[in-house]
Amino acid sequence: MAIELVDIRKSFGEPPTDVLRGITLTIKDGESVSFVGRSGCGKSTLLYIMSTLDQPSAGTVTIDGERVLTLNSTDLHRFRNLKMGFVFQFHHLLPELNALENILMPALKAKRSNERKKFAMSLMEEFGMSNKMRSLPSQLSGGEQQRVAIARALVMEPKYLFADEPTGNLDSINGMAVMKLLKKINIERNMAVIYVTHDLEFAKMASRQVQMSDGIIAN
Amino acid sequence: MWFLAIRHLMSRKRQSLLTLIGIILGTAAYVTISGMMLGFQTFIIDQLVNNDAHIRISAREEIITQNSLDNVFFDEGTLVKWQSPPSGRRDNAFILYPPAWTNRMDGHPEVAAYSPQLVSQAIVTRAKLATAARVIGSDPVKQSRVTNIQKYMIKGNFSDIGSGGNRIIAGDGLLDKLGASVPETLMLSVGKGAMQPFKLVGSFHLGVKGIDDSVIFGSLLDVQKLNGTPSRVSDIAIRLVDVEQAESLATAWNSTGQEKVQSWDQANEGIMSVFVTQDIVRNVMTISILLVAGFGIYNILTMAVNQKRKEIAILRSIGYEARDIVQLFLIQGIVLGALGGVIGCIAGYGICEVMARIPISNRGLGGNHMIVAFFPGIYIRGFLLAFGSSSFASFLPARAAGQMTPIDIIRSENS
Repeated sequence: MAIELVDIRKSFGEPPTDVLRGITLTIKDGESVSFVGRSGCGKSTLLYIMSTLDQPSAGTVTIDGERVLTLNSTDLHRFRNLKMGFVFQFHHLLPELNALENILMPALKAKRSNERKKFAMSLMEEFGMSNKMRSLPSQLSGGEQQRVAIARALVMEPKYLFADEPTGNLDSINGMAVMKLLKKINIERNMAVIYVTHDLEFAKMASRQVQMSDGIIAN
Repeated sequence: MWFLAIRHLMSRKRQSLLTLIGIILGTAAYVTISGMMLGFQTFIIDQLVNNDAHIRISAREEIITQNSLDNVFFDEGTLVKWQSPPSGRRDNAFILYPPAWTNRMDGHPEVAAYSPQLVSQAIVTRAKLATAARVIGSDPVKQSRVTNIQKYMIKGNFSDIGSGGNRIIAGDGLLDKLGASVPETLMLSVGKGAMQPFKLVGSFHLGVKGIDDSVIFGSLLDVQKLNGTPSRVSDIAIRLVDVEQAESLATAWNSTGQEKVQSWDQANEGIMSVFVTQDIVRNVMTISILLVAGFGIYNILTMAVNQKRKEIAILRSIGYEARDIVQLFLIQGIVLGALGGVIGCIAGYGICEVMARIPISNRGLGGNHMIVAFFPGIYIRGFLLAFGSSSFASFLPARAAGQMTPIDIIRSENS
């Protein structure tokens, strides 16, 4: 049992608007799960809560047996650094750093950048970007930038990869390439890949699709 | 975070450079202004401390007021109404009993040397030219121990005035006024006394116009004879082991005798208050300059924090804590402050070096070049001011960046 969400609720604003209304969900190790639904149904909010970036108004989040909502700031950041990878819709690379340096940022925080350098280079090779290691983000295409962002999410070999609309900013060809890459990562590395998408075709590439509607799981 | 902070700075070269220039100019201005002002102040204080006494004991002047004589003629408490109230000044021109002071000086651990003096006003005449002068009679050996006068001798030695024999040395300004030079004979007279010939055996240049243009040194015996007051002493000049003790000792001694006892800084209270004003002006200018530089840092870092919101979000999501983000921006301010402080100090030193070589006609200020101070304290303070103001200015935007949560940034970017 990897990620366990129990009765997760989230409300915003005053008067409160309920975005998540009592979600209970379990995601197993190595599973790939896609979340689909209309805008505002709460799928991204749920992703951020299960990835510890956001806190629920009520409910518990347990990851690898750890009640993550009770962790202090330092432990939570370390947990995130070592066990989770993130891919966002906008690649969010650091423009001052080249591709390899961007990939190594999580390792730099863990003071393991020298140790992870070879692995980072192998990821770039695997993603067909071995000739772009020293390129700045501004010298890369959108698809290449997203691949660098995925490599950055993988550099610490986390157990969980979270992706929020990873293809939202890409054309269909690059979008498909990124989704194939995520599927490959899930299968070959046995890494749990949890992502949010609007695209039903991409959603079907996951082993489990979760349909959300008005803050609850619809299927 | 140093690695990323330096990359941030390098990525906006123009902004960083302009901010750096602001800090450099601020620090260099502080160093230069401080060098000039403190150079001037130090010179003047050095002149006051080392060319006169640390403490001077002199006859006390007393202004007579309407009630000064009440208790002399009537019992205490009696209401006295004068038809013609007493007024004027009771002036003892001499120390009443000098041995009372000199005996005390002889055994005092804080007293390095002392020199009894008779100071008198005189008219100096050479042929048809005449000018007023202040004649100081002293024992040349004792006087040399109290002041640095020998260091400023242009011609002859201070000891040449000897212990008698009508020999004098005079300030070069006074000699210029008379057109006199060493060796010549000048005529001196005081009050109604007859003119007496004195042989000019030396001249000095202190760099203080007021002294160089009017002071003559002679032996104590000769001046007593000229003044018609044998064995009389009007002043005792004292040099202390530690000049810092001057004020407290003078204040303590002032209440123990009839004479007036003043330390060098009490005697020159007006000059010291000018220095205080100068210091205030210097500090206000410096703070203003560094505020502008600090505001520059605050401005560019605030803009940088807003521009880097996405990067902050990604850093937080991959495990960087709030304190890492604070460090990221604080380091940038600290680097700019430290670099600007060091370069500013070097630039300020260079400017001071150039200024110290500018030939100016400052005969009244002891040399032919501008007087500039190079105290290490100026540079340390300049650096700390630049570093401190930069660190403080960068702390506020850095703290704001640290308070951003990744989810808030992501939501605002997506909305």
